[in-house]
Amino acid sequence: MATPQLSRSDSTPRVRPLIDIAKVSKTYVTASSGSVHALNKVDLRIAEGEFVCVVGPSGCGKSTLLRMLAGLDTYDTGRVSLDEQTVTGPSSKVGVVFQAANLLPWLTVRENVRLPLRVGGRHDAANERIDALLDMAGLGEFGRRYPYELSGGMQQRAGICRALARDPQILLMDEPFGALDALTRERMNMELQRIWQAHRKTIMLITHSISEAIFLGDRVVVMSARPGRILADLEVPIARPRSFDTIVSHASYATLASEIRGLLNAQEGAPND
Amino acid sequence: MTDIASRMAVSSAEVIAQSDVNPDAAMQDAVEDAPALPVKKGGAGLSGSVIAGIGLVVLIGLWIFSVHVLRVPPYILPSPEAVVNALWSGLAIDPASPKGYYLPLWSTLSNAATGFAIGSALGLVLGSLMAESRTVEKLLMPYAFALQSLPKVAIAPLVVIWFGFGDGSKVAIAALLAFFPVLINSFTGLRSAEPEKIDLMRSLSATRFETYRIVKLPNAAPFIFAGLDMAVVYALLGAIVAEFLGAQQGMGVVITQAQSVSDVAGVFAALVILGVLGIVLHSSVRRLEHRVVHWAHRGKS
Repeated sequence: MATPQLSRSDSTPRVRPLIDIAKVSKTYVTASSGSVHALNKVDLRIAEGEFVCVVGPSGCGKSTLLRMLAGLDTYDTGRVSLDEQTVTGPSSKVGVVFQAANLLPWLTVRENVRLPLRVGGRHDAANERIDALLDMAGLGEFGRRYPYELSGGMQQRAGICRALARDPQILLMDEPFGALDALTRERMNMELQRIWQAHRKTIMLITHSISEAIFLGDRVVVMSARPGRILADLEVPIARPRSFDTIVSHASYATLASEIRGLLNAQEGAPND
Repeated sequence: MTDIASRMAVSSAEVIAQSDVNPDAAMQDAVEDAPALPVKKGGAGLSGSVIAGIGLVVLIGLWIFSVHVLRVPPYILPSPEAVVNALWSGLAIDPASPKGYYLPLWSTLSNAATGFAIGSALGLVLGSLMAESRTVEKLLMPYAFALQSLPKVAIAPLVVIWFGFGDGSKVAIAALLAFFPVLINSFTGLRSAEPEKIDLMRSLSATRFETYRIVKLPNAAPFIFAGLDMAVVYALLGAIVAEFLGAQQGMGVVITQAQSVSDVAGVFAALVILGVLGIVLHSSVRRLEHRVVHWAHRGKS
C-alpha cells in the first residue's frame, strides 16, 4: 500500500459547502440477505462549483449516498443538506445522470431532454433552452431521432442534457460512462470537463475507474467496502483543462493513482480496475 | 396468481417476438444501413406471401382430390365449386338483401367491435387500477383469475337470460371475452416498468399520473397490444357464440340456418368469410401496434 504523501483536503472547506453530508449512516433490510449496514458515519462536504469523484468497491454504498442527495433514498442518522436545507425529497436544484443514460425509448431525443420541463409544467422559453443544450452536446441534428438510433455515447450525452434542462445547481452522476467502451469513455470525459467548465455546476460523480476519477475530479473521495465510510479525500493538483495525453505524464498522477489503487486493494472486496 | 400473470406475459412477449421474425426486413436493414426509420413495409414479406400462396394452392388441390377422386360425400365435404357458388350468391347480391352476407356480417362485426371496445377499455382501466394500487389488486385479482379459469362460453346462456336475444347479449359476451387478455396484459405491462425509469420520474418530482402517462403506460404498450390482439379475435368468437344461442341476424345465424337444411357448402362459405374477417382484424391490430410502439420493434439500447 502506498504511503499517503499527498495533501489531504481540509475538512473545513474554504467556501461554504453546497452539499453537506454529516455523519450519515444507513441500514436497510432486504428480503434475501436480511439487514445490510450500507453506510457508516459518512462525512462529505462539497463546495459550490467543485467537481468531486467518488470511487469505492462494488456495493460500498456510493450509489446509496448519491440517491440520498437526489432525495430518492432515506438515511437513518446524521444529516444530508443541500444549500443549508435538509434534504427531504427530490429537489429541482439537483439534476441526476443515471447509469446507461436511462432515456425513455418511446420519446424522441428532444422530448427526452425536454422531459424535466414538461414534468415541471414549465413550457416557457423551453424550446430555445433545449436547442442550446442539444447543440452544446453535439446533438443538434438528432433531436427528432429516437434513442435506439443513437450510439451509447450519444445517448448518455442526451442524458446529461436532460439533467441540465432545469438548470440545476448540482449534477449527480451515477457511473454515467460505465457502459461505454474505453475510447468513447475518454471522449465523454473530455466533453464533461468542457461542459463543467462552461456551466460551473457542482458535480458529484460516482465511478469505478481510477483514471476517470483523477481526470475529472478536483477531489477524489475513496470509500471503503460495506459498511461504506470515507477512507481518503484527495485533492487532484493538476491544472485544467486536462487531457488524457498530458495527465498521465503529470508527476502527481501516478502517485495519486497508486494511492487510490492501494486503498481499494486493501479492501476485503475484489479490487477495482 | 402472479405466476399466471407472468405466464400470460410470457405468451404475449412471444407474440411480440414472433412479429419481429422477419428475415426480409433484417436483410433490408443490413443492405441499406440507413438511419433507422419506423419499420418500412413493401418488398418485405413478399417471399412469405409466396410461401403462403403455395400452401393455399396445395390445400385446394388436396380438397379437389378428396372430393373428385376419393369421392368424399358432399354432406361431409362439399366441392370447392359449391363453396365458391355459395360465397358468390351471398356476395354478389344487393347489400340490403337479407339473403346476402352483408347485413349479417355488419351485425356480427358491429356487435363484436362494440364488445371489443367496451371489454378492452374496462380491461385497461381495471388493469391500471390493479397495477397502481395493491389494495385494488388484492381485492380484484382472485375474482379475475377465478373468472379467467372458467370457460367463459359457459356463462353465455346466463348472459342471454340477463340481456335477452337482441344485440345486448352479443355485445356483452364479446366484451366478456375481450376483457381478460387486456386486463392481465395491461396489469403485467404496467408493473414491468424498470425501477430506474420510475426513479427518473421521482427525481423530477413527477406526480403519480405523470409517471403513469409518461413512463408506465408507454412501457406497457407492447403488452397491451398483445392483449388487444387476442381480444379482437375473442370478441368475434363471443359474438358468434351468442348468435348460436339465438339471434335474429348475424353470421352465427347464417351458419345455424345453413346447418338446419344440411347446406354444408353454405356453412363452409360462412366460415371462409369469418376466417377472412378474423385475419383482417388481427392484422389491423398488428399494424396499429407497429405504428404506435415502433420503438419496441427496433434494437433496444
